[in-house]
Amino acid sequence: MVNRPACLPARETDTQPGRLGFPMFVQQLINGLTTGSAYALIALGYTMIYGILGLINFAQGELYMCGAFVAVLLLATGQVGLVGAFLAGMLAAALLGVALERVAFRPLRGSHPLVPLLSAIGASIFLQSLALLLFGPSDRPFPVQLEFRTVEVAGLPVSSLQGLILLTALGFMALLLVFVRYTRYGKAIIACALDRDTARLMGINVDRMVALTFLVGSALSGAAGILMAMYYNATYPRMGLLPGLKAFSAAILGGVGNIPGAIVGGLLLGVAESLGAAYLSSGYKDAVAFVILILVLLLRPQGILRGKGH
Amino acid sequence: MLTLKSVQAGYGRLVVLKGVSLHVRAGEVVTLIGGNGAGKSTLLKAVCGLVPVRRGAVEFAGEDLTRLPAERIVSLGLALVPEGRRVFSSLSVAANLELGAFHRRDRQQVRRDLEELMGRFPILRERASQPAGTLSGGEQQILAIARALMSRPRLLMLDEPSMGLAPKMLAQVYDILAELKRSGTTLLLVEQNARAALKLADRGYVLETGRIILQGTAAELQEDPEVQRAYLGKGYREVWE
Amino acid sequence: MTAYILHLAILVGIHIILAVSLNLIIGYAGQVSLGHAAFYGIGAYVSALLALHLAAPFLLCLAAAGLVAGVCGLGLGLPTLRLKEDYLAIVTLGFGVIVDIILLNLGITGGPDGLVGIPAPVILGLSFRPQPRFLALTALLTLLVLALAAALVRSYHGRALRAIRDHEVTAQVLGINTPAYKVAVFTLAAALAGLAGSLYAHYITFINPESFGLHTSILVLSMVILGGMGSLMGSVVGAFLLTVLPELFRQFKDYQDLAYGALLVTLLIFRPQGLLGGGKLSLKFLRQGG
Repeated sequence: MVNRPACLPARETDTQPGRLGFPMFVQQLINGLTTGSAYALIALGYTMIYGILGLINFAQGELYMCGAFVAVLLLATGQVGLVGAFLAGMLAAALLGVALERVAFRPLRGSHPLVPLLSAIGASIFLQSLALLLFGPSDRPFPVQLEFRTVEVAGLPVSSLQGLILLTALGFMALLLVFVRYTRYGKAIIACALDRDTARLMGINVDRMVALTFLVGSALSGAAGILMAMYYNATYPRMGLLPGLKAFSAAILGGVGNIPGAIVGGLLLGVAESLGAAYLSSGYKDAVAFVILILVLLLRPQGILRGKGH
Repeated sequence: MLTLKSVQAGYGRLVVLKGVSLHVRAGEVVTLIGGNGAGKSTLLKAVCGLVPVRRGAVEFAGEDLTRLPAERIVSLGLALVPEGRRVFSSLSVAANLELGAFHRRDRQQVRRDLEELMGRFPILRERASQPAGTLSGGEQQILAIARALMSRPRLLMLDEPSMGLAPKMLAQVYDILAELKRSGTTLLLVEQNARAALKLADRGYVLETGRIILQGTAAELQEDPEVQRAYLGKGYREVWE
Repeated sequence: MTAYILHLAILVGIHIILAVSLNLIIGYAGQVSLGHAAFYGIGAYVSALLALHLAAPFLLCLAAAGLVAGVCGLGLGLPTLRLKEDYLAIVTLGFGVIVDIILLNLGITGGPDGLVGIPAPVILGLSFRPQPRFLALTALLTLLVLALAAALVRSYHGRALRAIRDHEVTAQVLGINTPAYKVAVFTLAAALAGLAGSLYAHYITFINPESFGLHTSILVLSMVILGGMGSLMGSVVGAFLLTVLPELFRQFKDYQDLAYGALLVTLLIFRPQGLLGGGKLSLKFLRQGG
């Protein structure tokens, strides 16, 4: 099942053989930040949902896949522009996330935490195999020829696609932080995560806030999926599996329930993975995240950033 | 305004309230006193919909509350200051206050109310952008009361507002309550330490192991030998002589 | 046709060992391993490598498979079993992925191609290459594992039931087992999965990492959930059904995973105790509030 590593030939900044040392380090750093930004977006979904429900939404990776497929299929029709397809992909992932909460989580509220986890695994398998049936196992290239070239940033070559992905992802993260910190509903979500009963006393409908959390978190995962579909030029049913699991590691790394932590954790994980692949062994690239996950859980289970941050 | 008719409620198999009847009229300050585990908090939670009512009726301003979810009840004009303050510790003081008015649609008025409350409680304005968790216990209690007031309640219920407060803070909190009383706010005040509560209240009830065992005006209760012995800390001798 | 039925019967036996061992972790520790196939794989590779490189006798291979898998289980369980149950699920899942990647990358494991030409078991000069004999061997091991698990259940239950009977709160308190107990059960379960791996390797004679990935972990988990978490007989039935049914519905192979996923969700919502649960190990935690 893991025979589909994320080390597909990505449209990374070329590492020219002659240029080792510092330039290569910086290039790997940028490559890592690019994939890391996708991990961070998915990790935000994990962390928000964990914060409010105390549950791991195992199917987060499938929302990533769903976003990518919807965007790619829409783009392939030639009727929809890139921005429209992007937003539609996010919307589809968001709605699927809300539906998932209704079907696989809400009926199980109040049961042992293992039960919803297992049910989410079931949902994840279901969605993956549904995608397999609908779309087949093969990779779909990204339908739009993206004009990207290498630009010099501070004397170092950076692919403009990477720049675009990073900026888009960081933009979404900033939007999320603004939403959570400064809007009524964002604060209400945090209130629910902190103290559900008292939130209800304020007239906050917890069910609605949970649905909203799924909506927002899933939209971000969908966005990550579309960005990575561009980056790797490939969309396929199992594309969400490894990024989903790695993003979970990122959420743990940042401290589960901690929103800035998820961002930092995702970016750090991407960089660690990229550097690990470059300097240690590319075959073990996908193991890096899980080694970090186990180490963090053993040494510092509260994550690198302490406490619940927003 | 608020009427409870032989209310039974509890958690799981455990029945905490074994048929409680009481009422609060508009403009009144009513206190409910009782020891640990008497069911005081459960009663307030049952009124607010946080604990399901098994039997009996809870009526507020003509509406049956027993079928309403907790989040709907606040918009009827019923607010609870929960036991132990329960401020949202990592949110700012201002955000806590805003959340108190979550159900209200009149944004302009909410902003004015926020200003007014901050004027009334300067400490809250001073700490407006600080996380609520960094406030002292007394300050948190003031915040919790102000947060509840943000919902513009017709009836404000308080669960042990004096708990764990230093004497000076306690006096300050009760000054606030006295001011609320003067301004005509209806209060239902639950207390374990009955002295301050009975001084403020018009009427009172005594709850023991899930049942009302005594009721009367505050003056009557203050004079009752049982109340004096059990809740006002007067010695046997003093009562008997 | 007979050969095919024997083949299925052998696979059912191996799956029963896997499901029962995983169920011990769920039933005793109240925790889920999503990396159970990793121990299965470790057992298979250890056994195969010993047989191929050292021409070790089967029983030694089998014992080594169980031992190494058990030691790995101990190594993973010792530091991690104190984690919250859902964290543990993810850690074990990560462990499964790591093992998978190691098997794919190591030279000695043959990478993605795996190992071929694993010899059939020979015990005291008797070859178990013929299917009926291999089935007998599998059946014997399966029964031994079941007997062991049943004995464990009874000894635990004897103590636990007396206390549970009085009050539900007591049952909840009992749900929190001592860490040492959890680690012991986790180790044992890993060792049993290793044994199953050894059996599988010497039966199929060629192995590659694909058989021991996340997919297999989840398949085994599905068996346990279908039969009923905490019910030993349930695991037997679950292993049987999820081995045989897919064969019967071969023409719907594409829909198999779809059905598994839907089955898991539906089952957990409507019958979390599984087909035969709600008795044996009495997983009160499934209905516990909070």
